[in-house]
Amino acid sequence: MKQHRALLAAATAICVVCTTLPAWGQGCELKIGSMGPMSGGAAQWGLAMDAAARMAAAEVNAEGGLKVGNKTCHVTVVAYDSKYTADGAAAGANALAAEGIHFIIGPVGAPEATGIKPVAARNEQIAWNASYAKDALMPRYPLMFHMGPGPGAWADAVIKQALKYFKITSVALIAPNDQGGTDIVSVDEVAYKDNGIKTTSEYYQRGTTNFAPIITRILAANPDAVDTASSPPGDAGVIVKQLRLAGFTGPIGRNGGPGTAEILRVCGGIDVLKDFYWYEAQPPNTPQMRAIDEEYKKLLGKDQTFGTSMWSNLPGARMTLKAIEVAGTMDDVQKVAEALRHLPVDDPNMGKGVWSGQKQFGIAQELMFAFGVGIIKDGKEIGVTRVEPKL
Amino acid sequence: MHEFLEAGIIGVSLGAQYALLALGFTLIFGILGVVNFAHGGFYMLGGYVAYSCVSGLGLPYPLAVLVAVLATAGLGWVFELLLIERLIDDHLATLMLTLALYLIISTGVLVVFGPISMEFTFPVAGALRAGPIYVPRENLIVLAVCLAAILAVYLVLFRTDLGRALRALADDRAVGMALGLRPRLLFPAAFALATGLAGLTGALVTPILALAPGVGDPVLATSFITVILGGLGSLGGAALAAFIVGIVEAYTSVYFGGSAGALVLFVLVLLLLVFRPTGLLGRDVRGA
Amino acid sequence: MHHRSAGLIRRLGGAEIAAVVIFIVVFAIPLSTKSVLVYSVLNQVLVGVVAAFSVWIMLRMNLLSFATPAFMAIGGYTVAIAGRYDITNAFLLTAGAFVLPALVAVPLGALVLRLRGTYFVLVTFVLSQIMQLLLFETPDLTGGSNGIAGVPPGTLLGTELASNQQVLLFACGLALLATLITALVTRYFRQHFAAIEENEILAESLGLVVWRYKALGFVVSAGVAGLAGYSLVNMLLTAHPSSFDSITAVDFIAYTIVGGRASILGPIVGSTLLVYATNLFGTHGQYAQGLYGVLILVVILAARGGIVGTVGTLLRRRA
Repeated sequence: MKQHRALLAAATAICVVCTTLPAWGQGCELKIGSMGPMSGGAAQWGLAMDAAARMAAAEVNAEGGLKVGNKTCHVTVVAYDSKYTADGAAAGANALAAEGIHFIIGPVGAPEATGIKPVAARNEQIAWNASYAKDALMPRYPLMFHMGPGPGAWADAVIKQALKYFKITSVALIAPNDQGGTDIVSVDEVAYKDNGIKTTSEYYQRGTTNFAPIITRILAANPDAVDTASSPPGDAGVIVKQLRLAGFTGPIGRNGGPGTAEILRVCGGIDVLKDFYWYEAQPPNTPQMRAIDEEYKKLLGKDQTFGTSMWSNLPGARMTLKAIEVAGTMDDVQKVAEALRHLPVDDPNMGKGVWSGQKQFGIAQELMFAFGVGIIKDGKEIGVTRVEPKL
Repeated sequence: MHEFLEAGIIGVSLGAQYALLALGFTLIFGILGVVNFAHGGFYMLGGYVAYSCVSGLGLPYPLAVLVAVLATAGLGWVFELLLIERLIDDHLATLMLTLALYLIISTGVLVVFGPISMEFTFPVAGALRAGPIYVPRENLIVLAVCLAAILAVYLVLFRTDLGRALRALADDRAVGMALGLRPRLLFPAAFALATGLAGLTGALVTPILALAPGVGDPVLATSFITVILGGLGSLGGAALAAFIVGIVEAYTSVYFGGSAGALVLFVLVLLLLVFRPTGLLGRDVRGA
Repeated sequence: MHHRSAGLIRRLGGAEIAAVVIFIVVFAIPLSTKSVLVYSVLNQVLVGVVAAFSVWIMLRMNLLSFATPAFMAIGGYTVAIAGRYDITNAFLLTAGAFVLPALVAVPLGALVLRLRGTYFVLVTFVLSQIMQLLLFETPDLTGGSNGIAGVPPGTLLGTELASNQQVLLFACGLALLATLITALVTRYFRQHFAAIEENEILAESLGLVVWRYKALGFVVSAGVAGLAGYSLVNMLLTAHPSSFDSITAVDFIAYTIVGGRASILGPIVGSTLLVYATNLFGTHGQYAQGLYGVLILVVILAARGGIVGTVGTLLRRRA
């Protein structure tokens, strides 16, 4: 009988200790949100955004948690599928706000950036959009940050580098007929014209899978080069394949987001691609960048399968967590935003960067790191040239 | 000038592909009265099954295509037997069912294979050229297979007892059943035939274009347009309309550009329906 | 006394009265809570219900219309473009959002209503696709692929509807208006619509001027969709083409069918359930669409006649 009572007492004591353990030290949970299209044609970008948020959270948790004031908090990520639409992003901001989330890593697309801005402002949420929209940042939305610069910052460098290897006097741009296409093409066109190159632009219905007719149309104008702009990499791969089948031998460019690996996969290899120039959102495939994928596998136990756009989203996610730590609070969003703005732009994998955006948007809340311009000539990888960030 | 010829060649290729899809879509509608929202899903599955066979199991491509057809036909059979049969008379409910299936297939493919395009290329490369005119070899092979498939479907439907039974049920189900035809056996067969065709098209076309989750989305819109144009329930109409849509799409895209071209195509279809409300070869049809 | 009021209720329709009462009571929600989630979901539900009503009106005549997003776009963009010229009077905008789509529906109806059954379905789908392309091709008027951002808040009787609560209350108002219109039209023409639903040719042979009622239904359905478009633009403060994608028609149809097509309460129940589910599943990232599909599958298989229909059958069996 006595043994029973002792056992019961011990069990109760252990239970009491266990349930109060959370109150000792850990106890606090910081939820951040990730947002982007996680279904449909643009799913890889949304999932890449989510992967970046999860990795930043995992890094911090591996060190025991994020120090917020005198508490140490475990960071979790809630993902929202905003389906590449304005109302999806707006609904997402509200759904995340309902879970008490004030820090959103995302959204991704131009329509999403347009839709989330007023709603996130109303909910007092910091958000990091990765779109190349012309109005990705606006001074009247001081809680909106930008993952990386759009073509306005790098198209010129890409074109100048391409001109060193290829003779281009005219270019045909091709992109889908929605905001994600038109905003980028209009900026690309300016960059080409500034370099004395004539431009024509073609837009295709998003959802087109067979580009042969449009290619016939483009080639009728006899351009020296064809630029795939912000066409999703899957589409761009088909465009390359069909351009080469049609007998086009000129250089193909990509003054749009990352996706070279996927383009190579879809078009049939580097011999088909032959001559290519593109924007690489981070410096060449250096050990520091590959380290991201290794660390991802170590921390999260699976392969990073979302491409290089995940790398571009990581600094913003990391800096947000750091800003919370520096501000010492996760509830005073204005204080965190202020801390964020003053953080030096120095990422362990991406290197040193600058806060850009003042010239283009009137508000300097955009991260700009050294980027790369890649060249493939005659079916051989010439390499990716590093370009330092310039305000 | 050569653009004109090129557009025609592209149009015919497109037409053959659309024909296979439209045939399946109109079969399901004509015989079962079901608008198959999941048609694009079976197209996508055809591509992914063929890809898995080639890259995962190392099977030769033609065998992979066969496996893809059998797999999509099998899935269609099961789906019809287990789910659609229960609600066969409620057209709106079956529409919702096929929609739900499409969402589930899309998500499944996304979760299993990931969002990025797969490396899946057609085993025959290169093109035949005559000056600026070109015909990719892969397109010729796909065209040949499509035409063979259309012929096979025609033979099955018009020269076999099974086909005759299916057509009888399409014409008048009550009378067909009174005469001893068994819909429980025949409906899944019809559905399976249609989804098998969609799977075949997917297995053939995705290596030419791209294979990623989401390539199924435009299939539905194309099937809709083709089938309205051809006339619901009319197989000849579907095939004819497919080639018309393919050719019109090619020419409008070449001469008007991507989105203006699509607009012209849609307006043309709309106008045609004003003058021929049952499509080119269609008959008067049941309500929604 | 009891007899006379019972007759009145039967004439007005128990379900319709219930629907109107629901949308009067719903005003209490924004006045009694400040929860962000409730505001967000309720606002989306209110937009969804009005759009579902637009589908439901046509479904009364057994015509499944995919044109709702096209008419919503007309209503929404009318409001946004009016905002550019500083027209913010809420009454004027509401009238415009109803009347313009209705006017466009007249010639479109003449074109499209001669088609029966599934042809009608598919052609209305084409209409929605055409609207998207028109939006893209007219950047000066509609902002093209960027849409019109920063639509100014409306003004009602002098006050600017700027705060979240005011926006939501206005959405409640639009929903109530749509309910009244829908209830009145479908109730008054109940027998005419039912005759067309049963057997159009028979109805015509019995003397019913069928095209008149089809046209009326189509025009009112377009106007109601326009109100939904206004509500959506009001919620987002942006008129963006991605909000009016032709595939959203499937959502509104789903709300109506899952809720139950036989009663005006069907679209209400369906919208509430499915909009809530979308928000709930949205936080599951890549599984969101699949979960939604499973939900639809389960409800369709389990509930014949939609949720309202099934509940009605159960109640009747008990009685």
